[in-house]
Amino acid sequence: MSGLHEHFVLQLRLHLRNRMAMVYGCVFPLIYLAVFWVLYRHEKVPLVRHAGEWLTVGVLGGASLGLPTTLVGERERGVWRRFRLTPVALWRVVASTIAARYVIIMGAGALQLGVALAAGMPSPAHPLALWAALSVVTLAFIGLGLVIAALADTVPAVQGIGQCVFLPMLVVGGVAVPVAALPEWARQVSAFLPGRYAVDALQACVTGAGLGAARFELVALVVIGLAAGAAGAKLFRWDASQRFLTLRGKVWLVPALAAWLAVGLWAGLRGPAVPPPETAVALAPPPEPPWMKLTDADIAGLDFRVPSDGGVVAPIAAADDEPDENTTLLLDDVAAALPTWSPGLVADDAQAVRNLLCLCAVPDVVQLSGERYLPLLVLDYLSHRYPKDRLVKLLTWIALHPDDGTVLLDLNELGIPGVVGDPDQVRERAYLYALKFVMRLTGRKPPGR
Amino acid sequence: MNAHVVVSDLAKRHGAVEAVRGVSFAITRGETFGLLGPNGAGKTTTLECLTGLREPDQGRIEIAGVDVRATPEAAKEKLGAAFAGAALPDQITPREALQLFGAFYREREEPAALLARFALTEKADARFTTLSTGQKQRLALALAFVNRPEFVVLDEPASGLDPQARHELHAHIAAMKRDGRTVLLATHDLHEAEKLCDRVAVIARGKIVAEGPPRELAAGAASFEDAFLRLVTGAGEGTGA
Repeated sequence: MSGLHEHFVLQLRLHLRNRMAMVYGCVFPLIYLAVFWVLYRHEKVPLVRHAGEWLTVGVLGGASLGLPTTLVGERERGVWRRFRLTPVALWRVVASTIAARYVIIMGAGALQLGVALAAGMPSPAHPLALWAALSVVTLAFIGLGLVIAALADTVPAVQGIGQCVFLPMLVVGGVAVPVAALPEWARQVSAFLPGRYAVDALQACVTGAGLGAARFELVALVVIGLAAGAAGAKLFRWDASQRFLTLRGKVWLVPALAAWLAVGLWAGLRGPAVPPPETAVALAPPPEPPWMKLTDADIAGLDFRVPSDGGVVAPIAAADDEPDENTTLLLDDVAAALPTWSPGLVADDAQAVRNLLCLCAVPDVVQLSGERYLPLLVLDYLSHRYPKDRLVKLLTWIALHPDDGTVLLDLNELGIPGVVGDPDQVRERAYLYALKFVMRLTGRKPPGR
Repeated sequence: MNAHVVVSDLAKRHGAVEAVRGVSFAITRGETFGLLGPNGAGKTTTLECLTGLREPDQGRIEIAGVDVRATPEAAKEKLGAAFAGAALPDQITPREALQLFGAFYREREEPAALLARFALTEKADARFTTLSTGQKQRLALALAFVNRPEFVVLDEPASGLDPQARHELHAHIAAMKRDGRTVLLATHDLHEAEKLCDRVAVIARGKIVAEGPPRELAAGAASFEDAFLRLVTGAGEGTGA
């Protein structure tokens, strides 16, 4: 189509080829992710409650700094002048540039999400809605990037203007610091900045009720994005010699700024700064998980006929049994890794406990030397992490539903060698250890002993 | 005269500055026409209006009968232009640049043929930033030919080139004439104009002050250079500057 497809594809190729563009486009979003992980690592699931924030920071960087840097850099080199020599309308080349930037920013967002999921973050509650919200956020901020490109004469000027937008949004705009943690004046200011709406819309799709819970935020972003996009298109400069102040179209800055103002005033009319949808959802009492409904009768009804602790199947070391030196080293490593081991931190407590039981089951199946010591370590960890009554219910639930959820077959990341091929073997041993832990926690003896 | 390109009463103002003031000239099909003038004389502004980069304040421009102001897209299909510097992204390769810009036109030349013609085959897949000044200039020329243009506009094409690269460039421009293309060459290198152009127009302070074959313009002066200096100085005196 008049070379626009070639232009679109070539831009993506040149982006991948440009080391600095890759640093800004891929490495920085991952750095933001790492920063959020470090800041909130004490949370049970460190990244999920801040997904809106780290996704927004990534989009903001790519759209309000990356896009104008590319546009102004090409303008300075005369690339846009060359495009203007061709018979293709310039707005179509700009549209192709925007499309490529959209793909680049969405790709960076997908990379962030992929890494976060690999680090143990649970899947977003509404993946399709998240894609839609991320698209709206990206396009709104691309509009902002077009305005910055029109304002800046040079690439260093882009950095200056871009930071004037980027930093306030991070600090008082609800992007890096949650709105709830801001002083009242900053909350009022944040209502006039699009970053806050981006965070809330994205977070609603990750942990909240989806797009329906973020209608106002999405409309605000569309209004800001359309106004900025129209202004950016009208103010677009293809030649470095065109100076911004000499342009008659500078009046187009008015609607771009008016959109921010209108959205802020509209938010004010809706009442005081409302907590973001994710927080609102979090404040509502969460539905009680099914294992919480288990009764003493359910626990007593378990079949406690389990193999002896000193046997080959599901062994557990005696309290006075001292491990050898290698086993001691392994146990120390596992104990050090457990507090941050992502499978043990997933949001679903039953699955988290099941994953931790795999630390006993897998070594048992592969007949690891020192296998009998790991159950003591795991039980100790679980006992510190959960109140006793909740832990007993969780273990009982797993024993009653041994085929639920998933099991781990490879624990090499924790230094535990060997891989199990048959997941049913792991499920069986996890079931036995769940029973044995319930017996220890409730003081039960095996029947007939 | 079979006029291929017609510029009539062209005027363009940059703020308070009248960059071009009533410029008119016509170029015959297959002719190499030079636009000579000192820096700031209005050469580049004239070329920018001619190629559709800028909208003139007044005047008429036609390329092969197509009105540039009324139908710029149709006019751009017929012309190729090389301005100073190739103006490409740093990471692009010559092959990619030729493919990309060729795709913007209805009629296009194969990149491989252009690479061979402008001695860039060996550098076809090299990044733009790694090319020498001469190679970049040859790429700029190759880009001016991606759409098999009838009319080629060259703005200071030899700027910054070493003697060897300049010699090669002149050979390429001579080849354009042999191919029957109409060429407009803007330069302030008088030897280049004398060597390559059938006719030249001398522009000073936004106006054409003389037009004709270089030999005719040099008649009565010690050299073409003397004639040129007399013309541009006279224009300055004439305007009271």
